[in-house]
Amino acid sequence: MGQQYINLYDVTRCHSCRGCQVACKQWNQKGVNIVPFSGGYGTKDDMDGKTLTIIKYWEDEVNGRVQWRYRKHQCMHCGDPACMKVCPTGAIYQTSYGAVAKDYDKCIGCKYCVSACPFGVPKYDEEIDKVTKCEMCADRVDHFMELPESTDPKKQTEKYTFIPACAKTCPTGSIKYGPKEALMKEAQDRVAFLKANGYPNANVYSPESVGGTNKVYVLDEVPEKYDLPVNPTTPAYIGVWQPWLKPYGGVLIGLAALGAVGSFFSTRMIKNFGHKFGLGEKTEGGDHHDG
Amino acid sequence: MTAKRQSYKDTLAVPRVVRFGLPARVAHWGHTITFLALLITGLPLFAPTMFGWLGAAFLGMNNLGTIHRVMAVFYTIIPIGALIANPKGFIGWWKDVFSFGMNDIGFLLKFPLEFFGFPVKIPPQTQFNGGEKMNSVVTTTSCVFLGISGYIMWFPQYFPLGLVQWMPALHDVTMILATTMVFMHAYLGSFHPGSGESFWGMWKGTVRKDWAAHHHAQWYEKVTGEKAGH
Repeated sequence: MGQQYINLYDVTRCHSCRGCQVACKQWNQKGVNIVPFSGGYGTKDDMDGKTLTIIKYWEDEVNGRVQWRYRKHQCMHCGDPACMKVCPTGAIYQTSYGAVAKDYDKCIGCKYCVSACPFGVPKYDEEIDKVTKCEMCADRVDHFMELPESTDPKKQTEKYTFIPACAKTCPTGSIKYGPKEALMKEAQDRVAFLKANGYPNANVYSPESVGGTNKVYVLDEVPEKYDLPVNPTTPAYIGVWQPWLKPYGGVLIGLAALGAVGSFFSTRMIKNFGHKFGLGEKTEGGDHHDG
Repeated sequence: MTAKRQSYKDTLAVPRVVRFGLPARVAHWGHTITFLALLITGLPLFAPTMFGWLGAAFLGMNNLGTIHRVMAVFYTIIPIGALIANPKGFIGWWKDVFSFGMNDIGFLLKFPLEFFGFPVKIPPQTQFNGGEKMNSVVTTTSCVFLGISGYIMWFPQYFPLGLVQWMPALHDVTMILATTMVFMHAYLGSFHPGSGESFWGMWKGTVRKDWAAHHHAQWYEKVTGEKAGH
């Protein structure tokens, strides 16, 4: 693993313009699944096969007054991604800089990742029969990584053109992309500022229970208020299934095959030569077992 | 002396007794075809490094998925069809399977020796011997579990996430047990010297009377009213 890069989203700077949703659709060339209006504030209630990020909305009550909450929702890019572990075709992989990306040619739409993800992120797209999710614009960022850091502002601007589309388009600086250490420090400074200014529950959200996430949130409230699990965990079945069942379970089938081969020869050997060692009688009239 | 396998024609010369009706045989071989098709189309997902090439052989893993689903539908409706076509036979099978007694335990204890060719005296058996009863239980249970877990994975949106999560693992465990059993069953029904006639029982429906008297004495006495004499 090389230098880790994170995508930082500061909920307190977001004003839900949904520019990130548009930029995401545009860059990833995703069409639209038109669904009936459900009564919510959001474009849709949740992501779908053609929507890799969405601003989610909730109404909360603070001191007897309505508090409107919204948060950008997308893949969290876990350090220890459950989706990657369960993918049977190896379509999901981690880039050297920490994004969880996908090789769509390998995806067969089995939906194992859909049920494994602790954040409920991957969504099935019926039209292409594959499961889609945010890749932190790995195709853009791969190019970003190739360009050197520069003191020349023009070159630096050019490099930073290739950050993820959502971060590139964000007008308020709510979404940022950059080296992990620098942005984590910025996030912690921001949380300290929020705590000192009337948000005692402010926190940096990048849960260690999934190996830390490379999508990092700055929240002004506890994660539950933003429909985020405090301790998201890799589902327990993966611990049984992936390291034990898959590699060694098939041994039982091999043993059955070996037993059959062994029996094929031993039955015939005992039949023909067994009488020499006192096992049965050779002259049993064709043997009642013959057919 | 070499073991000479008798052809079906040869065995016709001796008196025969009906062991399996047509619905049972159609169901058995229908399940054979669909199970093997399901195994071949499913293995690339279970062990991609070893069987991934099957995906290419079927022009893409997505095709495997389609074939797997079509076969799964037949695999799961065949037993239901057999039950409807011949409820008496189907229930009779299960009555026999669950009449698991001392003779069946005796069979299971001695069979490992018989399996490798050592001469042993097996206690008289009913229509299904102890091993066949175990096979019936394992294959049927796995059909039920594979079916349930498979359909849940096929339509995950209608089931709670916590349930859906365990289904691939359950599908795999059941597949391993079922495949192990099927391999054993296939060998015992084909190349094991003691089982030649039981193959004809499932293929043509009838078995030699003397074979039935020797291998399934209790059943033979029940259906023919004659003494098995063993």
